[in-house]
Parts: sequence; structure tokens; C-alpha cells
Amino acid sequence: MRKLLVLLVVVLCVVLLAGEVSIWSWRSQDADVWKQVEQELRKMGKDIKINFTAFAPTEYDAKIAVALQTGTGPDIVYSRRLPGGRTQTMIENGLYLPIDEYIDFSNFSETILKSVTYQGKKYGVPFAVQVVGIFYNKDYFDRFKLKEPETWDELVEIAKTLKKNGITPFFIPGKEAWALTMQHAMCGVSVLGPEWIKKLIDGETDFLDPKFTDLNRRLNDLKVYYQDGFLANSTTDMDAAFAFGQAAMVFYGIWGYQNWRNLNPDINVGYFMVPPVSKDQKPYAYVYMDGAITLTSNVKNLNDSIEVLKFCATPKFGTIFANVTYNIPAVSGAQLPKVPLLEEIVDVYLNHASLYVYWVGSVFVTQKPSLYDDVLSPGMQEMYAGKITPEELSKRAQEAISQWYEPLKKRLGK
Amino acid sequence: MKVRTKYVLLFTLPALILYSLFVVYPLLDSLALSFYSWKGVGPKIFVGLKNFREMLFGNFSKEVFNAFFHNVYFFSLATVLELGLGFLIAFLLASKLKGAKLFRTVVYMPNMIPLVIVGFMWNLFLNPQIGLVNSFLKLVGLKALARPWLGDPSTALTSIILVNVWRHLGFYVLVILAAILNIPPDLIEAAYIDGASNWKIASRIVFPMVLPTFRTLLILLFIGSFNVFDMVYAMTGVQAGPFRKTDVLGTVFYRTAFGGLGSAYVDMGLGTAVTVFIFTIVMPLSVLYVFLIERRERSW
Repeated sequence: MRKLLVLLVVVLCVVLLAGEVSIWSWRSQDADVWKQVEQELRKMGKDIKINFTAFAPTEYDAKIAVALQTGTGPDIVYSRRLPGGRTQTMIENGLYLPIDEYIDFSNFSETILKSVTYQGKKYGVPFAVQVVGIFYNKDYFDRFKLKEPETWDELVEIAKTLKKNGITPFFIPGKEAWALTMQHAMCGVSVLGPEWIKKLIDGETDFLDPKFTDLNRRLNDLKVYYQDGFLANSTTDMDAAFAFGQAAMVFYGIWGYQNWRNLNPDINVGYFMVPPVSKDQKPYAYVYMDGAITLTSNVKNLNDSIEVLKFCATPKFGTIFANVTYNIPAVSGAQLPKVPLLEEIVDVYLNHASLYVYWVGSVFVTQKPSLYDDVLSPGMQEMYAGKITPEELSKRAQEAISQWYEPLKKRLGK
Repeated sequence: MKVRTKYVLLFTLPALILYSLFVVYPLLDSLALSFYSWKGVGPKIFVGLKNFREMLFGNFSKEVFNAFFHNVYFFSLATVLELGLGFLIAFLLASKLKGAKLFRTVVYMPNMIPLVIVGFMWNLFLNPQIGLVNSFLKLVGLKALARPWLGDPSTALTSIILVNVWRHLGFYVLVILAAILNIPPDLIEAAYIDGASNWKIASRIVFPMVLPTFRTLLILLFIGSFNVFDMVYAMTGVQAGPFRKTDVLGTVFYRTAFGGLGSAYVDMGLGTAVTVFIFTIVMPLSVLYVFLIERRERSW
């Protein structure tokens, strides 16, 4: 009896000392990251257990909102980037907590930190930077002696050559409207340029500007080089098609690389930024912070959660993250896997990112109607289906955003 | 022996409590919520009838009525196919045919497959490049008929309805079959003896006697068609593409109340107003359904 009691006390002490930190995310692929983080923390003498749970991306936000309000949420959540209506709401209602006093943010660039800063305080440790653009099958480019294009017309010529030789130039996941908005946005930073986008944000021009309509038309004209039936394909179809060489190019993000490698370890992937219209323009990449690792109001184990977040702000975390996911970690100083593609992507992120954007990370997606949800996502599908013209898509964007965005409202008077 | 009222109430109390807790309370709570503006987080702001005004006459109404007419189309096509095919198959199964029992099982089988699996399965079947449907069409030389079924605005909603019919047909066949088997054999034998053709027996005896069942099934179809969400969600997601061509009131509600993409703005109150709209469409028919059942019982 006494032995049993002693054993019980010992077990209880061990359980209490081994704190548990729960983490919720929309990224199921990160499970291994947290196993390795747990091991690293243990090596550092911190006995912390991490309980990672992933939910479907489209349901994640609703679950988080309900759980945190009812007090059943986790210690830490992955949160969406700022500016974003949902994240702002969570912060304003005290469900996400500021962490400036606990975390050393010196390993993050100012640009990255803007994505977690609200009214001067930081909410979360950024975990990944996503770079989007055109990924291509190097074997096809080598076979047909194609080089990376420097202008839009050169891109079209490449597509023509590939098509003439029986290769599908682009594989487009048209069923997933968000991917079409992303396509538009990544082309926009090069074709329209950051300066034009800044004017749009400042209200010095608008969506009816001929340049915006011209981009719509260029994309619409490009669809003859997409796979047959592209409006019915998903990103899952695209991953398989690209990995197995059924298409030469995709408009996507570096997060796809993990899947492509898993499907076909021998795939030889190259990357280039969407080319601008003329050579006297510089190309840019759409770069955005995927999200942050954020402390919640439901935290039950504050000390251990802080330790986890501190670790997330170190290059060591970035190394683990990059080697598991082949994503670019937000923290600088990480040791990436020795893959030429990733080295190129990091260079693009550091030196060629557009400062101004109109998709995620922009003000245009923070209210309803949103440029993302309500305009470009259904609108691109409709334009590609031939139901509306490029001009009509521009008009819709203007009508939607000028309902609530003050700088564009003011232009109505001109 | 007269049972005391208090005992009757006492025995029905558990059921009443459960019903009130899980049906009545959520219903009233939803109704109340539709008068507020709420982001799902933080304070609820009373806005009176603003949500309904926005839904019926404002910018949001375009989206709502687009979805509403899709529900109407869903009901129309589903009715024709479920009742038409259901009756035809049930009539065939009702005959004393070899293998009838096996066919009954086969017809009902799709009804037992979970909805999410049906959606996933048919997503694969309808894939434009490698799907079973397009592959088969190409194989038999009908390549011209192959299309991106879920990506073509003129075929996406119809494709979903057909999958839904495929999934639920077994239920309708079963109910109609039961109604047919319930017809007194004497009537049919007498008709045969008098030289009536199969067509006449089907159209003048079997069909009229099955008609009351059709009315019941029609009401169930109406209720189901206006509450449809799962199949659309499983096949084209909450964005209900292409460009909202498969949007139904259920997906409008979900997208509005819980958000569609990443950082989307959400409004629980406006979303709940959509459910109140659905309720006002469906409830009168439900009452009618109860009335019809009551009348039938009384007539017996």
C-alpha cells in the first residue's frame, strides 16, 4: 500500500513536471516539425511535450474562433497573416495575446514583422515565407533548349514551342478559384509592377486602369496553353500532373515542392518569376508570410508555451521547419536543405519581393466584398469560361472595392 | 381506466426536454441571432431587420437569389428523376422476376455509402483527364461528349444533382416499391382477366394508387432540396464554383457565417438570416406534410 502510494506520488510529480503545450494548425504536414522541436527542447533540458493537432484549412478558422471563445482552445495556434479581418477580430477581442515582452525578434526582417504587428504590438512568431511564381520542368526546358523568359511574349513563345511538341505548357487548377486569384496576383506584381499597385492602394489609379484590364486580357489569351478541361481540375490533380511530367509549367508556390518530391523524387524543378511586359521592367515575385505561431488567451501552460515560442524565433527552428517541409522559414539564419531550387527561392525572397500587393497581405481582402473571395476568385473562373470579358472583370473589381475602400471611393468624384 | 394527466406528462418529459434542448432552443437562438451583426467573435451588435434587408434587397441579395434559383432547379430536376426513375425501377422490381431480390439490394446499395465518400468518388469519376466518365466516352468513340463536368458552368450543377440522385434513388425505389406491393393483388388479377394490357395496368391501376406516396415523397424532396449542402460542399467546396454556378442557400450560409477563404470577413448574423430564409421556405411544406399524414390516418 505504501509502495503504491509512493509510486502514485512519483507518477504525479513526473506528469506535473512534464508540461504539455497544445498547438492547433491548418497544416497537417507540420506534424514532424513539432516532433523534432520537442526533441530539441528536451536536449536543451526543457521537458516539454507538444500536442499538435491539424484541421482542414477551410474549417480551421471557424473552429479556432469557437474554441477560444468557449475556453476549450489550445495554448498556441497558427494564425493568419495581417492585415486580415479575421486575425484583427481575434486580436481586438483579446483571444490572441501580444508576445513582445517574451520573444527576441531580431532574426526577422521588418517586412516579415509587419505581418504580425497590430497597433504596435506583435502577435505571433512568423513561421514561413511563401514565394509564388512559375515552376517548370527543367527536363523539358533542356530537351527543347528553352531558357527562362524575360518578357511576357517570350513566355508565350515558350508555351507555343511546348504545345507544338505535344507537351501541355501549363497545368492550371481552375476548379480551385483561390489558385486563379493567386495566378492573377503573381502576374500582377511583375506585369503591373509594385509602383502601379502602390498607386492603386493610394487611390491615384483604380481597377479600371487600362493596365489592369490588359493583364486580365493577357491571362485570358494564355488559356489556349492550359490543359483541356482546366476549370475542373484541383491542386491535387496539378501536383500529380506536374510531378509526373504531364505538364511543363505551373503557377504555384514553393509549398508545392514537398508534394512534387514525394510523388516523384527524381523531378527536376526550376523556378522563374513571372516575366514583365518589356525588358526595361524588372520582374518581381509575390512573397507573403504564410502565418504565425501565436499565443492564445486559452493558454494553460504559459511558461512552457513561451519556451516553445522562443525556440520558434531561433534559426534552429527554421532549420527543422525547412528540412521537413521544404518551405522557406520566416526566421533568418536557418540551414536549408541543399537543393538548388530552394537557394534560388531564398534569393528571390530576399532580393526580388514586391513591396506592394493586392492579394493576401493587402488591404483589399479585409472587408466584404473582398477582392479575393468575391471578385477575382469567381471572376477569373467566369472570364476563363468566356462568360465575361477582361473589361467586365475590371469593372466588377472597381464596383466591389469602391463600396468600402475610401481612397477608391474618392475617385468617384473625379 | 383513465390515466391521470400528470403521469402522461411525466412519461413524455424526457422526450420534451431533449426536443426543447436540441431542436427548439437552437431554432430560437438562430432566429434571435439573425437580428444581430456578429463576427463569430466578440460583441453582438443589434441591427434589427438590416440583415434581412441586405439579404432580400441589398448587394447580398444577388448572391442569395442566385443560390435560391439553383435550389429550385435542384428540386425540379431531382423530383423528375427520383420519382420517374424510382417508379420505373420499383415497378420492374415488383414483378415476380428472377433476381428481383438481388436487384433490390443493388439498387439500394448507393444509399448506404457515406456522403463524403460519394462526393470524393464522383470527383474522381468526373475528372476531365483521367475520370471514368470521360475515359469511357473516349473509349466508345464519343470523345466529343467528354467535358470538364464540374468545371463547365453549364454542367456543374446538373452533375451534382445526378450524383445526388444516384446516391438517394434507392430510398425512393424502396418506398415506391412498398406502395406498389401494398396494392391488393385482386385488382391486378381482375384486370389481367379482363384483358388489360401491362401499360393500362401500370397507368390506370398502379400509378393512381401510388400517387399518395408520391405526394409524400415530393414534400421530402422539397425539404431535402432546399437544405442541400453536403453534396455541393463535397464536390465543389464552399466556393461553389465555377463562379458560384453550384451555389445553393446552404453554401451561401456556410460561406457567410464561417468564411470562405483565409482572411475572409464573416458575419454570423447575416448567415443566420439565410437559414431563417430557408426555414420560411421549408416550414410551410413540413406543416402540410404533417397535415397530409394526419388526414391519411383519419381516412383509414
